[in-house]
Amino acid sequence: MRRLEGIAIALVLSVLVGLPVATLGYQYVVRPAQSEHRVIDIIAYAPEAGGFQPTVIRLTAGETVTLRFHAADVVHGVAIGPGLGIDLGHIDPGEVREITYTFDQPGLFTYYCTTWCSKDHWRMRGVIEVVDPASPDSLPLPERDPIIDALAAEGIDIDTYPDGGPTHGGAHPARVRVSTGLTPHVARGETALTGLTVPDILASLEWRRAHTPLEALELLAQENADADRARLADAVAGLWLSHTPGQPAAGTVASYNANCAACHGQTGAGDGPAAGQTAEEPAAFRPDSMLPMRSDVLYAKIQRGGMGTDMPNFGTLFTPEETWALVDYLWWLTFTDDP
Amino acid sequence: MRGWRWKREARLAGWLGVLALFILLLPVPAHGTLRTLHLDLDARQFEFTPPRFEVAQGDEVVIRLSASDVVHGFYLDDYGIERRVVPGVVEEIRFTADRAGKFRFRCSVSCGPMHPFMIGELVVTPNLPFFKAAGFVVLALGLLLAHRWRHLSAALSPQAEPVQGDR
Repeated sequence: MRRLEGIAIALVLSVLVGLPVATLGYQYVVRPAQSEHRVIDIIAYAPEAGGFQPTVIRLTAGETVTLRFHAADVVHGVAIGPGLGIDLGHIDPGEVREITYTFDQPGLFTYYCTTWCSKDHWRMRGVIEVVDPASPDSLPLPERDPIIDALAAEGIDIDTYPDGGPTHGGAHPARVRVSTGLTPHVARGETALTGLTVPDILASLEWRRAHTPLEALELLAQENADADRARLADAVAGLWLSHTPGQPAAGTVASYNANCAACHGQTGAGDGPAAGQTAEEPAAFRPDSMLPMRSDVLYAKIQRGGMGTDMPNFGTLFTPEETWALVDYLWWLTFTDDP
Repeated sequence: MRGWRWKREARLAGWLGVLALFILLLPVPAHGTLRTLHLDLDARQFEFTPPRFEVAQGDEVVIRLSASDVVHGFYLDDYGIERRVVPGVVEEIRFTADRAGKFRFRCSVSCGPMHPFMIGELVVTPNLPFFKAAGFVVLALGLLLAHRWRHLSAALSPQAEPVQGDR
């Protein structure tokens, strides 16, 4: 009897101990030993429950690594940027998405959630630090952005503007709004432009990106004193999108819808479902607020985020090209709103 | 006597035909004609608004689905329609409610701890041509009464006199 009891206890113990040892041993000992490169498991929790764990991954340039992403609570999504073009799509709880990738160059990359998993979804990011094997102790520095540097050199504070404007429940010095009564439309742009004297400088994309549509409107008005102001505004709208193909790219629209629409609204009216929760009222991409706005300031706001407004920074996710495409889409939303 | 009866029957049959045609062509409300129903359905943790809606079988249903906080989904049981909705981007779901019954729609994206309980109900009422059927029944009863009237009146009158020739 005592012998049978001993066998029973041994059986129970072997299950209780053997099972965890086998599974954990496989995950943490056998699999890493079998794998030719590092396998890193990243568990995704909702941001209020910790976000990605771990939040920082350090690699050496040239190292191949397998990143396995798990979702622990709700549906998450993973993409890695900027400029890597890695999008693993949605991850349901219990599911694992993995990618094996070789990071060739030293630098900073971000893995970020692509699904609105909570109201703090946009805080859910992790950093991949790819260090130079020659100096493994020095961290790669974030690259400086020439556009933002130029704005700083020009003395433009991208957070403040001369006049007030409404925010949640009151005036705020960081928002300028004009009441021109103009509703320029890009579809009328080409017709409006024919027959107008257009200053050469307006053809320069560089100039347009560093100036506001209102300034362009004034320049046009000087040359065409007798032209109707609404027509001139249409001409400016046409000019402002003249370097883009007629319709915004599907990828840009998808990016706007996934990242911006929750606050700024699908049509850019500043009326997304989360608009009431932000520290400051989300900007509306409408003529009154956009005519006194510069493209490079919009670019800087997207790249660096808005201080104290709850506007996240996307510079760690998007390349400059992707950001400019978004800026152009904001102008497109502004200049196609006229009913 | 016999000829008179036949004439009367023919006249009744004629009336029947006219009335039946009238009922058939009568534009009765609701279930008679198929509609296109537009519905705004909002998803938030952890409920749908409205949680229940009713359509008639055969109606075309256009749901404008929106999400107010996080990503949600919409899965309609039995119809097998699934859609994912990102906050800020309205999704349009268009389908014909061709099956009658009570169907649950549920969130199909794990949106939080109470996600399994995020359920709504679509009621598709059977599109029986009820009013028309009722009209036909009344018509048939009326005809029966008219046909049997002489019998009945004779049977009910106090000085009962057997009616000759009729049966």
